[in-house]
Amino acid sequence: MITAEHTSINKVQYFNGLNEKEQDTQDTMPAFTPTTSSLVTESNVMTQETVGKPFVKSPRMTCREVNVWYDDKQAIMDVNIDIGKNQVLAMIGPSGCGKSTFLRCLNRMNDTVPICRVDGEIILDGLDIYDKKIDVVPLRAKVGMVFQKPNPFPKSIYDNIAYGPKIHGLVNNQTELDEVVEYSLTKAGLWDEVKDRLDQPGTGLSGGQQQRLCIARAIAVRPEIILMDEPCSALDPIATATVEDLIDELREQYTIVIVTHNMQQAARVSQRTAYFHLGKLIEVGITDQLFTNPSHQLTEDYITGRFG
Amino acid sequence: MYIRTQMGHQDKKTTTKASATERVQLGLAKRRRKEERFRKLSFAAVLLSIGFLVLLFASIISNGWPAFQRTDILLDVHFDQKVLDVNSLVNANYGKLVKQAMRDVFPEVTSRRDKRELYRLVSSGASYELQKMVTADPTLIGKTVSLWLPADDLTDMLMKGKIDRSLPEAERPISNKQIQWIDQLIAQKRLKKNFNTTFFQAGDSREPELSGIKGALTGSLFTLLVTLVLSFPVAVAAAIYLEEFAPKNKWTDLVEVNINNLAAVPSIVFGLLGLAVFLNFFGMPRSSPLVGGMVLSLMTLPTIIIASRASLKAVPPSIREAALGVGASKMQTVFHHVIPLAMPGMMTGTIIGLSQALGETAPLLMIGMVAFIVDVPGSVTDPATVLPVQIFLWADSPERAFVERTSAAILVLLMFLISMNGVAIYLRRKFERRW
Amino acid sequence: MKKTLLIAACLLLASDVWAGGRDYVSIVGSSTVYPFATTVAERFGKTSSFKTPKIESTGSGGGMKLFCAGTGIDSPDITNASRRIKKSEYDTCLKNGVKEIVEVKVGYDGIVLANSKKATRFNLSKRDIYLALARIVPDPKGSNGFIENPYTNWKEVNASLPDIKIEVMGPPPTSGTRDAFDELAMQGGCKTFPWVKALKKSDKKKFKTVCEALREDGAYIEAGENDNLIIQKLEANPNALGIFGFSYLDQNADKIQGAIVDGVAPDFDKISDGSYSISRSLYMYVKKSHAEVVPGLKEFLAEFSSDRAWGDEGYLSEKGLIPMPEEERAQVGKTVKELIPLQL
Repeated sequence: MITAEHTSINKVQYFNGLNEKEQDTQDTMPAFTPTTSSLVTESNVMTQETVGKPFVKSPRMTCREVNVWYDDKQAIMDVNIDIGKNQVLAMIGPSGCGKSTFLRCLNRMNDTVPICRVDGEIILDGLDIYDKKIDVVPLRAKVGMVFQKPNPFPKSIYDNIAYGPKIHGLVNNQTELDEVVEYSLTKAGLWDEVKDRLDQPGTGLSGGQQQRLCIARAIAVRPEIILMDEPCSALDPIATATVEDLIDELREQYTIVIVTHNMQQAARVSQRTAYFHLGKLIEVGITDQLFTNPSHQLTEDYITGRFG
Repeated sequence: MYIRTQMGHQDKKTTTKASATERVQLGLAKRRRKEERFRKLSFAAVLLSIGFLVLLFASIISNGWPAFQRTDILLDVHFDQKVLDVNSLVNANYGKLVKQAMRDVFPEVTSRRDKRELYRLVSSGASYELQKMVTADPTLIGKTVSLWLPADDLTDMLMKGKIDRSLPEAERPISNKQIQWIDQLIAQKRLKKNFNTTFFQAGDSREPELSGIKGALTGSLFTLLVTLVLSFPVAVAAAIYLEEFAPKNKWTDLVEVNINNLAAVPSIVFGLLGLAVFLNFFGMPRSSPLVGGMVLSLMTLPTIIIASRASLKAVPPSIREAALGVGASKMQTVFHHVIPLAMPGMMTGTIIGLSQALGETAPLLMIGMVAFIVDVPGSVTDPATVLPVQIFLWADSPERAFVERTSAAILVLLMFLISMNGVAIYLRRKFERRW
Repeated sequence: MKKTLLIAACLLLASDVWAGGRDYVSIVGSSTVYPFATTVAERFGKTSSFKTPKIESTGSGGGMKLFCAGTGIDSPDITNASRRIKKSEYDTCLKNGVKEIVEVKVGYDGIVLANSKKATRFNLSKRDIYLALARIVPDPKGSNGFIENPYTNWKEVNASLPDIKIEVMGPPPTSGTRDAFDELAMQGGCKTFPWVKALKKSDKKKFKTVCEALREDGAYIEAGENDNLIIQKLEANPNALGIFGFSYLDQNADKIQGAIVDGVAPDFDKISDGSYSISRSLYMYVKKSHAEVVPGLKEFLAEFSSDRAWGDEGYLSEKGLIPMPEEERAQVGKTVKELIPLQL
């Protein structure tokens, strides 16, 4: 697979895609600045396995050569990808392909797993988040997360939202806190449904409402990036549709990375899609393109339903 | 696969399917019988344990119930000025007043021997009561007052039917004359069984009719308070560290094994430790609830740690992830979310540990809490004893009237336990949150 | 909730810090003397302005150990004993700085062998007791040798005794009652064999093991320190005998009867005048150095040695203590008053 020919093809595709995108939205661009040019050259070697367009013009986060091990078992191998600003990146792939693991690397949630080891660099605002100097608390405030199963705190709806702002000291008084709660719930499309019962437990809501509550909770700490780990897998189709609409709205303000099993969902909500397979990032591309015209055989097999 | 086989059979014999159902039916009856038998057996086991419990309670209650009543004698006490010198009320002979009052009721008793027997019908505590009254209100001197004074334990036993009147005189602790006087007193309505308030207001005593449970109860309360204050925070902190913060390695494994072992160490060992360390090394006061509580906290620590760890483990990881996800630090996650959810379990563990501690006597023996202590303790450094020790001491006393007091003390201990468990249930309900 | 408790505990601690003196008398020692000492203590506490003394029942040996550990305020002022202080214990005391010890003889206690009223009363000699309970006994065939105790039935011990299996419940070796029983009853019976008695002079150690070792084949049952338990067991089993202090027999005279030993039945007068042979003296040992330091100690001793307490008609006799003769009381009373230390 690692042949010169292959590399050159990749290169061509890479730039072709770029040009196309430039015309389209001017959103995804290779970095032409001298500082990152070396990275591009380097990544040419690296992307021998990742086809498509893993890099964008003005990335919010850049991941280079990320490897993850659970004890001796390698779960993620040499992943290189950029996460674009104010767009939704969907990560798809068969079960156990490492997409959730990779997602959890982005806000260091993997720290809670003692046997998990991460190397490579994941850069946010010019700093490697795995640097020793980085404190996970501000990182996680900046990179919020929504989990697979709705997990509101066993507290009131109000307290669920207010918790984050309170511990981070984002508000100065009760009025401001009330505003944050209303803003977050409104943003999550839940305000009208719960405004009269903010003091009731969050666990009493329906599954879809709970998940939106969790999204509102994530929004309340004013993150810049929101990670979503199969946020709709425990929801019925109607609730799923509501959450998907919500994700689409949130894109205007936030950068979103979503892991999903549901390819239609990926197609509906995301602008870019990354396909993982057995710990490797196989292909990244503009969502429409990836689904209609995948470059890699594995991607094609997966989206046409041959496995997974 | 299964369907295919069945299809194959159907090709050969059409009856195969029917016979399979039949077979299931046959087996079904057997299965039902087995289930029925098992259910009956387990029900019998429950009945058996309830039966034993009822038996235990019945015997304790029937034994202990009479102790809640005490026989009093109505006497017209004349607070004689000649006996009571205002200047030395402490040293006055109050017994004389009681004796005079008894003689007034039975003027016909004259011989010295008979008088002695007569005086024995009244408790020696009667004079203490008079002393208390006069000290509180010296204006009583010179007056005559009708008072209900405690009767002797033998009078009490006779009134309660614990002494067999039909036995020959030599074999019963109470003489024919005394029985005759008691009958006279009953006829004059001067003997009455009252609710035994002394039992709840006094400390230990050598006279059964004057003995009470308050000293031991207060001692138990103080001891448990010290145990709670010491063991709960330490045990919870240890559990939190081990469960949430400690790295999982050989050292923490070793610590865990040791904690589990400690939970099974006989309590007397902690008593010896307490003797060596708290008393001999630190020179803390012997027989005090402070040291008792410290020794018992050593004993309850492992129990609470194990229970607390189990309840911390039971908190779903999703809650931790949720908190970490919004940027809470590890400590905030633990203190804001995990502990509140684990609190009911921790409290249950604590109450179980304290209940164990409540029933403990062996370690207290070593630090001098198995003692005769009359004064009700006023602080954690006063000498004190505890309920189970009081039960042990009374059970070992030669006087017959202590038998019923022993059972009554057991009842008080059981009530204490029940109320502790009640508090546990209440706290659990109050703090329990669903997720 | 937790905070309130914590504050409450802190206040309690602060209200009474233990550093400093002790304002009550601390007593340890024998469980036999315990009922008497507690009775005096209670009276003393209720009728005087002092606090009620604290009394721990630790057994004679345990009490001595605590008593002799030192002289500080943490150590007990008095230890009770159902036997005299041993030379070794006295030496330990001296070594630990407990220099002046006042010995107070309190009175007598009889050790009784009793059985249920439902059975016939035993009439035993000390020799019978020894032969029934010793681990090894002189060979019945006459040679001057010892054999393992072969008797299983009282009748085998002495033909005049009833045809009942030997079954005796008594205290464990830690008990003072057991010490006294070994010394008075067992040794006494042992000495009725002249050649064994001669052994006392030639081989004291062997004499002691021969005479005092109780059998371990089930005929002697160690029933623990709780004498009430022994009485309950005796009621349930009319064939069994029990060994305990006289006060228990006194309190339970309707249920059990004491065996006649060497022709004398155990009762108040017979123990008092010394004709009942298995009786012992009870003692208190007091630290003279504490007398000036601990408030109430001297007054407590005065109460104990007053006539209304230990006199012939005193309240201790009601509790089963057998008083000393009047002259002896006067003599001991003087020792108490002047706190004359013991010389060993």
